[in-house]
Amino acid sequence: MKFMITFITLLFMLSLSTGTFAETLEDRVRTLEENLEKQEQTIQELRILQETLKKQDQTIVEQRKLIDELKAEVKQSQPSVSSDSSAANQSAETGQIQQQVQELKEQVGQVVEAQRKVLPSEFNPSIGLVGETIFSYRSKGSARTGSDRPGGFDAFQRSVELNAAASVDPFAKAYVVANATADAHTGESTFNIEEAAIQTESLPWNLTVKAGRFFGEFGRLAYIHDHELPFVNRPLVLNQYIGGESRTDGIQVNWLAPIEHYVSLTVGAGNQFGGDVPPNDVGDFRHLGGWNYWGRLSSYFDLTPDISFEPGVSGLWNPKTIDRGGQLPQPDGSTLTERERRLVGADFALSWKPLRNNQFQSLTWGTEVLHSNNRYDVNATDGTMFNQSVGSLGLYSYLTYKFHRQWSAGFLYGYVEDAQDNKAKTYEYSPYITWALSHWNQLRLQYTYTDHNAASGLSPDHAVYVQWAWIIGSHSHGWQQR
Amino acid sequence: MKLKPLCLYLIILLIGVLCMGVMPGHAAKISVVTTLTDLADFSRAVGGELVEVHSLATGVEDTHGVPMKPSFVPIMNRADLMVLVGFDCEHAFLPALLEASKNPRIQYGRAGYVDCSQGIVPRDVPRTTGHSAGDVHPYGNPHYTLDPVSAKIAIENIYNALVEFAPQYKAQFKRNRDAYLAKLNAKIAEWEKEMKPLKGVKFVSYHEHWPYFAARFGMDYFGTIELRPGIDPTARHIEELVASMKAQHVPIVVREPQFPEKVPKRIAEQTGATMITLPIMPGGVPNTETYIKMMDYIVHTMVNAVQSRK
Repeated sequence: MKFMITFITLLFMLSLSTGTFAETLEDRVRTLEENLEKQEQTIQELRILQETLKKQDQTIVEQRKLIDELKAEVKQSQPSVSSDSSAANQSAETGQIQQQVQELKEQVGQVVEAQRKVLPSEFNPSIGLVGETIFSYRSKGSARTGSDRPGGFDAFQRSVELNAAASVDPFAKAYVVANATADAHTGESTFNIEEAAIQTESLPWNLTVKAGRFFGEFGRLAYIHDHELPFVNRPLVLNQYIGGESRTDGIQVNWLAPIEHYVSLTVGAGNQFGGDVPPNDVGDFRHLGGWNYWGRLSSYFDLTPDISFEPGVSGLWNPKTIDRGGQLPQPDGSTLTERERRLVGADFALSWKPLRNNQFQSLTWGTEVLHSNNRYDVNATDGTMFNQSVGSLGLYSYLTYKFHRQWSAGFLYGYVEDAQDNKAKTYEYSPYITWALSHWNQLRLQYTYTDHNAASGLSPDHAVYVQWAWIIGSHSHGWQQR
Repeated sequence: MKLKPLCLYLIILLIGVLCMGVMPGHAAKISVVTTLTDLADFSRAVGGELVEVHSLATGVEDTHGVPMKPSFVPIMNRADLMVLVGFDCEHAFLPALLEASKNPRIQYGRAGYVDCSQGIVPRDVPRTTGHSAGDVHPYGNPHYTLDPVSAKIAIENIYNALVEFAPQYKAQFKRNRDAYLAKLNAKIAEWEKEMKPLKGVKFVSYHEHWPYFAARFGMDYFGTIELRPGIDPTARHIEELVASMKAQHVPIVVREPQFPEKVPKRIAEQTGATMITLPIMPGGVPNTETYIKMMDYIVHTMVNAVQSRK
């Protein structure tokens, strides 16, 4: 029943609505025509759009194809290209690095070589300068002490030594020591050649030959320069019997015994020996007997790794001195003329140098005994002339203790009988202390008490010395400074 | 009569010489003399049974202050090779000994003069050789053997010299050298591993012994107690060193055994640093008879000192 009612209602409403719009049917047709035109236009536009999309799709497909082809090509070509280029790059880099390393090596080599070329030791010749100033006070004047320096306060530039050394050729080296010193009396600087010698370096049979002007090897300290001594002044006995430094013009041969133990033998000949005494009279004609002949034999013993003993013996002979020193006036008014010079000596050094800290601690005891036996022509006060040999003895002994790298102290004892009058005796006692700021700058304070016996005619003397020695330029640690 | 004591002295001297100087027959071995003990160790390692090696230093000396003993002269007189550190390390004793030896084979420039510094790139080459800089080494710092890699160059130089002197034994020398280098290389790797934690750690020493060592193991070499090489410290220098060590927290003071303990110990106390004693060549302290043992000792002591502070 409900269904019937609903159906009838719908038919009624439909009939009613058809009746309402029957009047505007033309309008409705017109509207429909317009809508249809619009729809046709839209369809046309859509068709155009569709065509466009189709074209775009086609383009995309073509592009994709192209990309794929390109990718394929890239895949095919890329591996070979990249490996070649990377290998090339690598090899180029390696080459560059190698070149840089080579250049660096060359630069380093050049730098090293350049550094070596400016070394003092590479100069030809190497040059060094040593200066030494002595400030002193002596209680007595020179007339009463026999010294060549005045009493009282004194400042003395004892030496300015110019050292030069170099190889001559593969077979020899040469060196020169020129010394400027203030004259003892005038104060004027005098310049002299202390040493100028050539020394062989490649002789067979352990031989070395030295010729020229040099300090002849005699004893322990005679052939050491003043500034290298362990105390301020050369021991009296060396001044008396040798004449200070053992300077000579001549030739010297040294031989090292070819055995396992150290034995060194030196012999030499020269026309003078001793730096401070007037040399032999040049004379009219000099025989070989007018020359000085000397020799030294030395050895060495390691008693323990820290303790060593170094003995030696020396001899000097001048058969015909040819008035060495001229006529020598004596206190009693007589004069002596030296005719033959004979000197022998024995020496040793006993050293304690602990290996571990030898730069800071050591103890050295050095002693040398000399016996002079010169023959003189005596011109007595009463006018008589006769021949006389004078035998005299002298020695020095010193003990130096190094207790710090910069500090050492010691004591020197000396005794000498006059070479012309053995009754005249002199003693010296010298404590000293050394402050070495470095290898090249050294100060030393020394007190010396000199005592003479009555026969000498001289007075006892107290003296205080301050020595300041310095080195600039090239320096070497010589064998004799060991 | 006065000559009698002298004659007696001479006779005693000659008898002494004859008793002590009787020479046994020459050995057929190659005679190698080295200045320092590390070079002697290398020479023995490379030369093996073919060489007889003698070192002038025993190991406890200052490398620059080996005493010039005349007893060295006969040994050097018979030497076939004279092996030295170079860089002027031995200038205080070797030139005079060489001259006294009268052995032309080992003089400077000859084949027997084996300068182990050949090929070493020097450190601390001074700009000036003036003494205002102290007792400087004009060629550069000579303590390169404390760097084990640089030590290999010294070994190579010794090998080359031995081969040049006795080429018939080249194979043996090569075998010995390679065996030693293999052992040394293994130890170097070990030492580098042990020292790795010490990279950048600062230290001072008495003398300037350690620039090559510090560079090898990456340590910071802060300074020296000596004012300049070979010049003892002044009070002002010590004062400044202590102040800078405190400011920079330097933990280690190295004292080489040939130098007195007093000053390094005082500096260590004032700065709170640890003082250690390190050898600079084999034999410098007990149980360091060989180079490898010495480097072992140095590395272990250094590492222990740093680690014990943590």
